[in-house]
Amino acid sequence: MSTEATNAPKIKLVTSDNAEMEVDRQVAERSILIKNLLEDLGGDNDEAIPIPNVNEAVMKKVLEWCEHHRNDPPASQDDDSDSRKKSTDIDEWDQKFMQVDQEMLFEIILAANYLDIKALLDVGCKTVANMIKGKSPDEIRKTFNIQNDFTPEEEEQIRRENEWAEDR
Amino acid sequence: MADPLGGPPTTFSNSPCMHPFRPTSIMNANRFDEGYSEDTRSQNETDMVMGAGDSGMESETQQFSLPDWILGLDEQQRSEIAYAILRSLRTSSIAGIVEKLNPLLHLDPVVYLPPEITFQILSYLEPETLLRASTLSRAWRIRVMDSPLWKLLFRLEGWNSNYPQVREHEESERQRRAGFKEKERKTRPRTAEDMDLDKPSSKRRVRGERQLFGDGPAAENGVRDGLERSGKGQAAWGEQHGTVEADEGPSTRTEDQMEGVVATPSQTAQQRRNSPAQNEDLSPTESTSPRIHPTLLLPGPEPKINWQYLYKQKKRLEDNWNAGRYSNFQLPHPNHPNEAHTECVYTIQYSGKYLVSGSRDRSIRIWNLDTQRLIHKPLLGHSASVLCLQFDERPEHDLVVSGGSDCRVILWQFSTGQMIKEIEKAHSESVLNLRFDDRYLVTCSKDKTIKVWNRREMLPTDDTYPSSTTKSGARFPEYIINMQQHVENQHLHFTPLRPYNLVMTLEGHGAAVNAIQILDGQIVSASGDRSVKVWDVRTGACIRTFQGHSKGIACVQFDGRRIVSGSSDETVRIFDRATGAEVACLQGHSNLVRTVQAQFGDLPGNEEELEAEARAVDRNFFEAQNRGQIEQRLSRSQRRARNAGSRDPKSIFAYGAKLPPGGGGSKWARIVSGSYDETVIIWKKGADGAWEKSKILYQNDAVRAAGGRPRRPVAQPPAQGAQGNQNAAQQQAGQAVAQQNNFQALAQQAQAQAQAAQNLAQQAQALHAASQAMHGNTAGNAANVGNPRPPITATAAATAAAQQGAPANAAAHHHHHGPHHHHHPHPLGVPLANQGTNSRVFKLQFDARRIICCSQDPTIVGWDFANGDKDIVLASQFFGDSY
Repeated sequence: MSTEATNAPKIKLVTSDNAEMEVDRQVAERSILIKNLLEDLGGDNDEAIPIPNVNEAVMKKVLEWCEHHRNDPPASQDDDSDSRKKSTDIDEWDQKFMQVDQEMLFEIILAANYLDIKALLDVGCKTVANMIKGKSPDEIRKTFNIQNDFTPEEEEQIRRENEWAEDR
Repeated sequence: MADPLGGPPTTFSNSPCMHPFRPTSIMNANRFDEGYSEDTRSQNETDMVMGAGDSGMESETQQFSLPDWILGLDEQQRSEIAYAILRSLRTSSIAGIVEKLNPLLHLDPVVYLPPEITFQILSYLEPETLLRASTLSRAWRIRVMDSPLWKLLFRLEGWNSNYPQVREHEESERQRRAGFKEKERKTRPRTAEDMDLDKPSSKRRVRGERQLFGDGPAAENGVRDGLERSGKGQAAWGEQHGTVEADEGPSTRTEDQMEGVVATPSQTAQQRRNSPAQNEDLSPTESTSPRIHPTLLLPGPEPKINWQYLYKQKKRLEDNWNAGRYSNFQLPHPNHPNEAHTECVYTIQYSGKYLVSGSRDRSIRIWNLDTQRLIHKPLLGHSASVLCLQFDERPEHDLVVSGGSDCRVILWQFSTGQMIKEIEKAHSESVLNLRFDDRYLVTCSKDKTIKVWNRREMLPTDDTYPSSTTKSGARFPEYIINMQQHVENQHLHFTPLRPYNLVMTLEGHGAAVNAIQILDGQIVSASGDRSVKVWDVRTGACIRTFQGHSKGIACVQFDGRRIVSGSSDETVRIFDRATGAEVACLQGHSNLVRTVQAQFGDLPGNEEELEAEARAVDRNFFEAQNRGQIEQRLSRSQRRARNAGSRDPKSIFAYGAKLPPGGGGSKWARIVSGSYDETVIIWKKGADGAWEKSKILYQNDAVRAAGGRPRRPVAQPPAQGAQGNQNAAQQQAGQAVAQQNNFQALAQQAQAQAQAAQNLAQQAQALHAASQAMHGNTAGNAANVGNPRPPITATAAATAAAQQGAPANAAAHHHHHGPHHHHHPHPLGVPLANQGTNSRVFKLQFDARRIICCSQDPTIVGWDFANGDKDIVLASQFFGDSY
């Protein structure tokens, strides 16, 4: 992944399926979890860091994203939901990056959440939100293989209750 | 298909020997593997459960087992073999397999992602999309109808909310349920309303639905339920508590799924189908199943405000504003006309519950808006008209400050109505406006000056103490010390300045200073000299002068970014505080704009966006200019045409502002202006961002619709008769509206009804007489309403009055007048025969729910856009103040 910068300090990660991965420390530190862990361990530490919640395939994908975004400014600390913008715009590279199967998409989101990589989590969540936008209920059900467990009567009741939101 | 490869009969779903070949993800070992056996199971069993039709085929397929040598291959090799097999099939078979594999490729995020992550996903969606998503499945509905999510959405709309009121309500409800405060329950009408919501009536109405939705007994949340459940209350508390719910609720389920093969989503779904509400695993989420019709409080023993309910009611309230659905009310209460001012009312201010008015009759009156009654005797002290006032009823202030034509400023105790202090000769001429904040009182006058007074005792070492600068045009009284000099002279003994001493006098306006505001240490003043000035309250320096209006300015509002002013040039203009640019000019009134209030509904932290937006508009303008699309030389009429906020480059007449044309703000932005043309205009932003007239409200219509006494004869009694004539029917309708509107007082109405009926009868008689008298010469006026039938209407009013005279008729009364509930204003553009009605609008204020205004007429009128809707009224107490 990150072999181009040979001089950069490296660290080792061990994934849930026991794969050992070497990665630039700077890249790995896009993950606040890993960053804090490294700081806690302190100094030079050759020990591999276990990442028990992420498997190799997903970790590769996550590190690919971190590599591309290695020089991004660090995530701002005021990540309060107040300032969260409604926009689901995603930059082109990230869009391409997120063109994966749904299982991988959700795994990336879970991994980003676990590893505390806010920007990646945001991109993942926006990607899922965009899959919901502008679709009819049936289309959304198809997209996510959702089993409709409402009776037609219940569905009709909910639909009627929801009418207030329609522009009148 | 037989088993062409032979081998041991290993089934897909039970193959322990598969694990060694597959990379295992610890977190999702059983769900997210590349190996397809268990994924097949988890998804396809769901299919089997849901669609019985497929199950036969599925189980047949699952009879096949893979030979060891295949299982021994790695992922890549197995996938090549699979592909080779697929390629050997006919297209129709491939299509069938693709169809069957489909569920594997499409995963339900609500099943696979924990609530905190779906919360974030959902927060990117519009309310309409969310509500659509709430119909997908029960699990989706629980995540979508999440109160904290809607709280966030509410804030992202730029809507204000009154958090202290939310907390207070939850707390009082908590105490009520705990069985304390029995007395309060009896005395507080709101609490009683809550009980109504949670209790039998709604229970009966939606019982069927609730069962369908798995609302257990906890959801009914009567007081008894709460107490009975207190034993296992800990779990229940967690369920209802926003964050805990998000952390513990459904994610517990996720963990279950992760632990092993046992609790796969499909099984969970199956269990749910078998036992809708009793399932142990599901009880945390099931008991929080959103009701079909949201109520103010979430189901459960812990009282929590339901933000989905607040959001819904706020949206419905906004719809009422846009559609012009309102009911009218007036001060005084129609049953107590003796409480009215006796002459025109120059100034009002109201908070949620109280309104204070000042009149030409020299009195100040404090009204309870819920009862429409005075809370004190009129406050007397001014020796001439009361022109301006401000009050703050909070105990730490407990203050009314008023100014008048007698050049005096008087301080009153709000809670008692007692005069606290009188500043004789505050100015040398009429005190036209005044504002106070925590630290200063600022007054302005016809004498062209602005004066600043200290509200608290003040030392020269205080931050609030004036610091004179050479730039300052302010005059300081002799007792104001030049701090710098004193420090240099080591003179460090000071006597404190007592409260309400003059701190400085600001001079610079060339005519009367008609209006002022103070915000964040800045004084904004508007003058008859056609300019607005901004002053630093500490130094007295004039920071900036805003030009634009072509005649004197009557009113001004400042929200920190924009200055909104109304002028004798009949326009409302919006200036960018930072740059002085005029970003909008609203044309629509046909006389002096005397009063204006703006609510831009800024989204949280949108300063940068506003500026970026402004930059983009500027760029468009310059590009258009370079392309030669902008006329370099404007004709006189083009120069005079002003922009109401359009982004069209051709309409732009100011650039470099930090605000986009129109002043920015959310789509809910609203300006309300009142004029000497006797109308109130509600302005909204149109499609291209330009301000447009959304509604025109007629002050004199409202007086009639609010149902008070006939207008006081002002100058020409004949005109008064004509009014009564053309609007007798409306008046009768209005009476009903006003009384309905006043539903808080329903309890005491039985008695009031009788008196109302008497009043009505008297009015009807008076009207009848008047209409008889005027019958000959009122055709012109009556035609404007299009309903010239004076004798009939007068009779109708009399009949209605007679009906109301019947005993014990409160319910009948409501029923009878139901159709009048919605009052529809004149359509836009209908000319109004308002000559001589003396309804010049002097002052108005609006909040989330109401516009209230005072005018030449002694009656204060209001438009209530809750329009009698109980849910909106209930929710409105949590909507924040407008400024």
